Amino acid sequence: MSNLQLKAPLTINWAINNSCNFACSHCYSREDTHDEISRDVLYSCIEKVVKAGVFSVNFGGGEPLLHPDLLDIAAFSSGLGLRVSMNSNGWLLDYDKAVALKNAGFTKVGISIDSHLPEVHDKFRGVAGSHARALAALKHLKAVGITTSISTVICRINCSTIDELVAMALEHEVGQLNFHNFKCSGLGMSNKDELDLTPEEWKVFYRDAIAAKRTVKNLDISLDDPIIALLDARDAGSLVKGSVCGKLSLNIKSNGDMTPCGFIPIVIGNIVRDDLQQVWKDSVVLDKMRNKQPTGKCSGCSKYEDCLGGCTARALALTGDMNSPDPHCWGSDAPAK
Amino acid sequence: MSKVFRNPDVLWRRESDDSDVSQEEAVAAILFSGGSMLSLNEFGIELWEMCDGQTVDEIVTTLMSEFEVDEDVLRSDIQDFLNSLFQKGFIRYE
Ligand code: SF4
Repeated sequence: MSNLQLKAPLTINWAINNSCNFACSHCYSREDTHDEISRDVLYSCIEKVVKAGVFSVNFGGGEPLLHPDLLDIAAFSSGLGLRVSMNSNGWLLDYDKAVALKNAGFTKVGISIDSHLPEVHDKFRGVAGSHARALAALKHLKAVGITTSISTVICRINCSTIDELVAMALEHEVGQLNFHNFKCSGLGMSNKDELDLTPEEWKVFYRDAIAAKRTVKNLDISLDDPIIALLDARDAGSLVKGSVCGKLSLNIKSNGDMTPCGFIPIVIGNIVRDDLQQVWKDSVVLDKMRNKQPTGKCSGCSKYEDCLGGCTARALALTGDMNSPDPHCWGSDAPAK
Repeated sequence: MSKVFRNPDVLWRRESDDSDVSQEEAVAAILFSGGSMLSLNEFGIELWEMCDGQTVDEIVTTLMSEFEVDEDVLRSDIQDFLNSLFQKGFIRYE
């Protein structure tokens, strides 16, 4: 199943804008383009995406709530049958906005929270009071019946607080807690030394996170990192092995440029001028991501079939080669038995 | 006997426009319900499309006319497949 080739992505992460009211130290997209395509052109792009067979779009960026036409764009998308969700910092999400999001067809909204401690989150995000407003946003979303999740990028400020993050998620009755791996793209790269963990520390984090995932009830703890194959914890139900980028999902920037994921800065086409299915089928970059070859310690690693060298974005960012072993991998440098 | 219905929240698509592609194991369609996804072969998608209020008996009768196979074998294949769809919340019985 590792070579499953779909006719189009199942889901698209779409940065309809790249403006933001926050200044987070790990942001992958501050250096991205701020050009935006006009609303009419965007609508025809969304029609294209639906025609290609895409099931869902997740708006991100940037802070989607800063886009003046977000509600109209979401209503247009959901009206065409797309499942619509977004990631937000929650600052602009009061009760009235939650109602409007519900009416526009949002089924799920993820709120980014970096720490259970308000002062840590606020300092990291550069905005006083942001933690309280993020939690309030979760409450408003729940009140109107939108499924909620908390997204936490794991880094040095939160890696040893799994229990506290889980307690916060349970207290606010979110459906899902996403522990995202640290990507080393954009500002994440500039602040890598300060924020990223060592491979040994990643091992400890994932060991504890997997234990929590197995024991905590009423909360889906999601770990999107292929290297957890090393702990025999990959989701057996996934349609593909390794990372999903370029296999199940695709990223679109605010100017329409398509990239395999938000963390790989290689433009493979533009949704305004190109045919989505054609790009999805013919892109040399996607082909390479779907057919990775083991190098270094991955050659001979007993987990390769599941892990496929880990996160391609991270390998590319830190080594310049997609096929390099994931720099977070704690597997032995001698080929594993 | 209860009727089988697709869960309306499940999105699905055929992966190929011509339905005569099939090697038996090729991915013919994808079901998607937000959290979980499932790939189906040609037999699976045909069965999925029949989950529109028919009973298992009706489905068996229709498919018997298409496949040269023992009825008991076919019935148990169909039941296994429907059980797995039911467990994932992709279908319901009424
Ligand atoms: S050695 Fe390579 S394949 Fe094995 S776990 Fe590490 S990154 Fe994955």
